[in-house]
Amino acid sequence: MKKGKRSFGKILMTLMVIFFYLPILYMIIFSFNDGKSLTHFTGFSLRWYRHMLESRDMMEALYTTFGVALLATAVSTVVGTISAIGLSKSKKIVRDLMEQVNNLPMMNPEIVTAIGFMLLFITFRVEKGYATMLLAHIAFCIPYVMLSVMPKIRSLDPNLADAAMDLGATPWRALTKVIVPQITPGIISGALIAFTMSVDDFIISYFVTGSGVKNLSIMVYTMSKRVNPSINAISTLVVVIITVVLVLINLVPSFMSKRQRKAEIGRRKFVLPAAGCAALLLVIVWLSGLGGRDSALPYAGETLFVYNWGEYTGENLIQDFEALTGATVVMENFDSNEQMYIKVANGEAYDVLVPSDYMIQRLMDEGLLQELDYSQLDCLEELSDEVLGLPYDPNNDYSIPYFWGTVGIVYDTTKVDLADLEAEGYNIFLDEKYKGDIYLYDSERDSFMMALKALGYSMNTEDEEELRKAYDWLVQCVQTMEPEIVTDEIIDNMAQGRKALGLIYSGDAAYVMSENEDMGFFMPESGTNLWSDAMVIPKNAKNPELAHEFINYVSSYEGAYDNSSYVGYTSPNQQVMDDLAGAGGDYEGINAYLPRTDNENDEVFVYNENTRKMIGNLWSKVKIAASNAS
Amino acid sequence: MKRFSQLAVPYIVWAVLMLVLPMGLIALYSVTRQGNSIISFSLTLEHYAKFFTDPDFLLILWRSLLIAVKTTLICLLLGYPAAYFIARSSERAQNILVLVITIPMWINMLVRTYAWIGLLSQGGLIHRIFQLFGFQGTELLYTEGAVLLGMVYNFLPFMILQINTSLCKMDHSLLEAAADLGANRAQAFRRVTLPLSLPGVINGITLVFLPAVSSFFIPKLLGGGQYFLIGNLIENQFITVGEWNFGSAISMIMAVIMMAAMMAVRKIEIRNKGGKEE
Repeated sequence: MKKGKRSFGKILMTLMVIFFYLPILYMIIFSFNDGKSLTHFTGFSLRWYRHMLESRDMMEALYTTFGVALLATAVSTVVGTISAIGLSKSKKIVRDLMEQVNNLPMMNPEIVTAIGFMLLFITFRVEKGYATMLLAHIAFCIPYVMLSVMPKIRSLDPNLADAAMDLGATPWRALTKVIVPQITPGIISGALIAFTMSVDDFIISYFVTGSGVKNLSIMVYTMSKRVNPSINAISTLVVVIITVVLVLINLVPSFMSKRQRKAEIGRRKFVLPAAGCAALLLVIVWLSGLGGRDSALPYAGETLFVYNWGEYTGENLIQDFEALTGATVVMENFDSNEQMYIKVANGEAYDVLVPSDYMIQRLMDEGLLQELDYSQLDCLEELSDEVLGLPYDPNNDYSIPYFWGTVGIVYDTTKVDLADLEAEGYNIFLDEKYKGDIYLYDSERDSFMMALKALGYSMNTEDEEELRKAYDWLVQCVQTMEPEIVTDEIIDNMAQGRKALGLIYSGDAAYVMSENEDMGFFMPESGTNLWSDAMVIPKNAKNPELAHEFINYVSSYEGAYDNSSYVGYTSPNQQVMDDLAGAGGDYEGINAYLPRTDNENDEVFVYNENTRKMIGNLWSKVKIAASNAS
Repeated sequence: MKRFSQLAVPYIVWAVLMLVLPMGLIALYSVTRQGNSIISFSLTLEHYAKFFTDPDFLLILWRSLLIAVKTTLICLLLGYPAAYFIARSSERAQNILVLVITIPMWINMLVRTYAWIGLLSQGGLIHRIFQLFGFQGTELLYTEGAVLLGMVYNFLPFMILQINTSLCKMDHSLLEAAADLGANRAQAFRRVTLPLSLPGVINGITLVFLPAVSSFFIPKLLGGGQYFLIGNLIENQFITVGEWNFGSAISMIMAVIMMAAMMAVRKIEIRNKGGKEE
């Protein structure tokens, strides 16, 4: 019987080990995949590792993660130990109270702690970035250090330090020579916990970071929407680093134990490997600081902060601009205009933003933008007349177009009958024939555009009744059609033909169609959103001169070509647009690339504070309804 | 000796600034209106009212609690036997097994969760295995099952390690004593092992339940954009909707529920201890 139980345990353990390691193994294998797929292995290659090493974003995320972790561990270990010693000699009431306070980050849901830090930094106007991330990490690590040091102190003879001082030791010597050595195991395990917590942290870092500073978790979170096997490559690298560190920590003491007495190891058990690892990591962090730039270039040493949509820049655009100017570009990405607005309105400083039409109007209305200085711009002649002088900024005083296009329906021509699309327009999203086979786009504006246009209203309506009806339309859709609500995930998924239909931006459709010829793009007669995203310079920009330089470069033929050919969105640069859509161009024959300009039902969004609020709230409720329906 | 107590003073100041003040700010935001400056604000309970009068919000809270309870139960059911097995192994095997369980925990959670996307998506290994067994056309990714899986995957090690620690601390002579007194293995387990491992179980439950309720990246990565839990609702209020006051109110509600749940769990622990002493 006993034997039976053991084998049950063995089977359970084996299954569990498979469960724990299968995803990690899968990830490692696919980091060597030649193809882009996460599901089909097509051959061995190191291209994703090369990609990772070339991606400054990824390498910086790696350095940030370990840099913050090392600093936070060092500071919190020292401070935590000293404070724990101090508290152990304090009055009981102080001790109990502090224990409660230390429990706050441990007993609260992490997201609550994170929001607390965020509100703290914003309330006191601390600029968010590396420093705030580090402060937050120190703050949540110290309680863990104290928690693991405290029991060791409690088990100490309280008279030890007194004895040392009676014998003539200074308090400092008593502390370092008597107390600390006795509690070393507690300090080490505290430091290890702190390090793990810091490396692993996502939620707190996500809410307190700024100025483009990302750690690994934030990077994975924001990049996971598109298929990107370099994430597997960098993850594999992390797995290797962590495994080596852990194995060292665990193995070295057992090697040493063969040679030394146990009592002696108690102290040194972790010191050597831990110190070794710390030194190794420090070298990595230090190396990251190297790599200077050519100082002969006009903007050498300067930094440009760009806040742009995700997956919205050409492959080499940033590198080329940096090579040209000597400046460093830090780019941060957003998913929606609203997300961008919140950060900008809360005083985060960027040099260039790329909002959409109605949001530009809002930023202008609220005085958050500065006028462009045309003496520094030489790009206007190259741009298409169709995207200049639009209603939100009639004289282009504040904005220079970045991309433009429409919104339409991407569909799988093998699954969807074009006649259905022509007959139903957007109402095809209520056609149960396609139930479970559709994507909605997580954009409050465009979802409401779709619903309003399906009902035959203007997408700029201020009529609450019409908005209500649009809301009902959307709720009906999410409750009966089992849609997936996505953002950029739609691009790779439609390129692989995962669903039949999706609401999509024309540029993403152009990319999808260039990858998969079964895909089509349809714009309903009832009209669509004729949108444009444009570059603007916020009032609090730190380097407007460089920002103008960036706008020039992005609008130039080279920059615009790189952008448009890589991303798939329509370039405002007339020549680029003609070349890409014309014979031999990347998007020849793809209707999604050339925006429709001859349908009188098409509109440009106009900003209105009341409707914005209403649409924002209603869209949250649509998503909640979708979630509760699933 | 007293002079050492001064060492704690800087930390007390720091803790008030960095740990207490943020909670105060959340509480403050949750009872004020947007656009208030620090100097002039008017108090309101409308954000709490908004949450508690809307069945949709309450349903989200309920579903979040439910999935956290499910996660905790599964972790307990899988984790206890595993921890028990480890504790019964030889010291060498114990060290190795604990290391095996610990390594994944050191690897970033986001990275580990991301890894599941490839396995579960159409054409991925697990999806293909499902098809082999006749579940054609079953979607695995972006379902509640995927979210549950992701949570169990991420939080199970906490449970195993906590229970294992308390089992290892147990005095084995107690089991021998029980056997000498005529208890069979099942009785000895129920009357000796289980009560003694309870602190570990309770710590494990805390460490699983707490992050499971508030997690927002697991639902987002594995549940898809239309899968909303309370954590996603809070994130949404702060990142895209911009209703910080409402978001703060939901945070406060969460914090209070958690504190209550933790206190309830601790009560069980204390009652159990009390019972033994009698």
